[in-house]
Amino acid sequence: MNQPMTPDKLLLIIALGAYTIAALALVGYFFTRQPALRSVGVPLVVLGCVAQFAQLVARYEMTGVWPLLNLYGSLSLFAAVGVLIFIIFAIKYDLWFAGGFVVAIAALFLAYATTWNEGTMPAVPSLQSYWAKIHVPLVVSSYGAFLVSFVLSGLYLVRYYVERALAKTAALATAGGQAAAGATGGWLASMPSLPQLDVLTYRAVAIGLPLLTLGIITGAMWAHEAWGAYWQWDPKETAAMSSWIAYAIYMHLHTRGSWKGLGSAWIVFGSFFIVIFTYLGVNIWIHAGLHAYQR
Amino acid sequence: MEARVAVRDLYEDFVRTFGNVLFAVCLFVVWGIFTLIGVIVEQGLDASAYFQNYAAPVARAIVRLGFDNIYHSFWYVGIIGLILLSLTVCTFKRVIPARLPPLRPVKIDKIPLNMQVKVAGTVADVRAKVDAFFRSRGWQVRERTFDGTEWIFADKFNWARRGVLIAHLGFVIIAAGATIYWARGFAGETAIVTGQTMEIPRTHALIRLDSFAYKIQPISTKSGMVYQPIDYVSHVTVTGNDGKAKAETIRVNQPIDIDGTLYYQASYGFAMRFDVLHNGVRVANLSGRTLMDGEALDIPGTPKSVQYARFVPTVDRVTGQPGPDPRVNDPAVVLNVFNQGSEIGAALVPLQTWIDLGGGWKVVPHQYVLYTGLQYRYDPGAVIVGIGAFVLLAGLVIAFHFLPARLYIKVDEADDGMATVGIAATTVKGYDIYEKQFSDLKTNLEGAL
Ligand code: HEM
Repeated sequence: MNQPMTPDKLLLIIALGAYTIAALALVGYFFTRQPALRSVGVPLVVLGCVAQFAQLVARYEMTGVWPLLNLYGSLSLFAAVGVLIFIIFAIKYDLWFAGGFVVAIAALFLAYATTWNEGTMPAVPSLQSYWAKIHVPLVVSSYGAFLVSFVLSGLYLVRYYVERALAKTAALATAGGQAAAGATGGWLASMPSLPQLDVLTYRAVAIGLPLLTLGIITGAMWAHEAWGAYWQWDPKETAAMSSWIAYAIYMHLHTRGSWKGLGSAWIVFGSFFIVIFTYLGVNIWIHAGLHAYQR
Repeated sequence: MEARVAVRDLYEDFVRTFGNVLFAVCLFVVWGIFTLIGVIVEQGLDASAYFQNYAAPVARAIVRLGFDNIYHSFWYVGIIGLILLSLTVCTFKRVIPARLPPLRPVKIDKIPLNMQVKVAGTVADVRAKVDAFFRSRGWQVRERTFDGTEWIFADKFNWARRGVLIAHLGFVIIAAGATIYWARGFAGETAIVTGQTMEIPRTHALIRLDSFAYKIQPISTKSGMVYQPIDYVSHVTVTGNDGKAKAETIRVNQPIDIDGTLYYQASYGFAMRFDVLHNGVRVANLSGRTLMDGEALDIPGTPKSVQYARFVPTVDRVTGQPGPDPRVNDPAVVLNVFNQGSEIGAALVPLQTWIDLGGGWKVVPHQYVLYTGLQYRYDPGAVIVGIGAFVLLAGLVIAFHFLPARLYIKVDEADDGMATVGIAATTVKGYDIYEKQFSDLKTNLEGAL
């Protein structure tokens, strides 16, 4: 069946295409530091992100229904905000080298999002509220920031363990060991240092955690208005609280010298899985409670 | 005497444990795990449901440990209590000393972020210039003399040192608000049939349902026809403490407030008026009653009863079975028939037709009447929880985004008419986070002096 190409579909294809090529180019850049790859990747990241936001606006314009109420729209925004926050970080702290990983994950989520596209439906009564326009973007934006912190902590761990392995081989003092150091030295050495990666991860969580806090607060205010209680111990809100607790643990450990760095990088890395569980797992595997996405 | 020593030791151990951030983190971990258990184990079911869903030992553990209602269990409330206790101890033992240290001299070269700048001029001149440099850049500058040595302390975002305290205070306020609800609040549900007036227990408000309306829109999607609810509205007349009756409308997302208690649109349903016929004659004292779904009607002089199980708004004309459309087209009811308390059959009975129970008895579902399901809640702590939440948020933003830094500055005389400016920097988040700003500061300072 040949369906007509609507503006939102076109924008989606542009976003997915741009992200895919950008991811390949920037992963290449990560390993080779070829400036040409960066020059290809960076504009495409920006293009993909703009196309994504334009796509969400186009869908709102075309349907008149706030596009974030189903998993398709929500996951699209997640990918878009994740990339947007990354772009801001990349400009501020010169992080384009990590862009390939962020954009690749965003593209995967966006592709997955399209499988949840079931057309447009008017909102059920409980979702017809201005709170939907505040609460959902805030929570999803916090997930976007956590995505960035996930990639940065992942890079911390990569650098830490590769360096340690190199140090071990170097300690063996074989010629082979030195060759290995030479082979990885390029991309490894041009990454920020471990303490810098630690600080960058902290900065990403420092964006995500207040956003999640505000997201939970606005959710509670909405619940107060719609369901009669600001907190219902509904699986979704409780799972969000677990994510909040995980990042609060990180923030506390990060004040302790001995946990800064490796320990806290692992916690940020792991916490993202709780976020994904909150975001998708609760709806897909657990009874969805009051937060079932509208289908 | 020994008892006193023992108590003091105990107290010291308590303070050492509860004042330790790692201990607090352990409490957080347990809190997080309990919270996740409640997400994974469905809450509030019957004990038997857990035995159906889980292996017997697991189910027994869930029920015995209260994991079926974990958020109100002793464990859960207890862990939050311990967190609050730890928070209080930490505030005095760690946070205040760590975040609000007094001005004191330091060994500049022992602090990782330090610099020495050599400048021409007398010590007094250079000190004045350094002072002016930092003041003009928004630093709070203070001078102190310790053992005859003059120190300059320059602070950025000194006020933000209180961010952690504010975040912690927010958490305490939230806990206080939640406790107020627990002590003085209440909540409940009520169903009101059209035309009926209900007195709400505890608040004694009177609510009459004048009419209920719903709007449902059929939408065809890829996976078939979906009936999307669009609106539920209760038109009610309410009488509160002032004794005056007022017309009000309750919608989803638009609760009403009667004397501080909020009433919410929660659900709706179909009550049913039945007629009972015996040998073709309408039995007046059994007829005309309105039953809610789940209620039953005893047939006098027989061991039988008829339960109104549920309403079927639309019977599929082709199959004769309940159809998916929740709008009322061809309505019917599902009736369960009981004999001496055990179910002997069920039937789908269209409205205005009957079910024959034998012995000359017939029951006719005569007419449906809409009812509204309202939830009500009195929560005198809600405002406090709200305030606490925003205090917490403000604390997080301050703690994460305003980095208090303190510079320890000493100007010493050097040879040939020069002076050395020694500067060390500390922040509340260690040194790595301030490296770049510190080296920029050095460049600027060297340029300015
Ligand atoms: C759920 C409640 C809590 C919240 C929202 C919270 C929030 C925070 C925040 C935002 C920070 C600053 C982190 C940073 O600047 O990087 C912090 C630090 C800290 N928190 Fe908490 N916290 C909570 C519970 C606790 C508890 C129970 C303790 C008890 C041990 C505690 C002790 C501390 C300490 C000692 C610091 C660091 C002080 C320092 O070394 O500079 N917090 N907290």
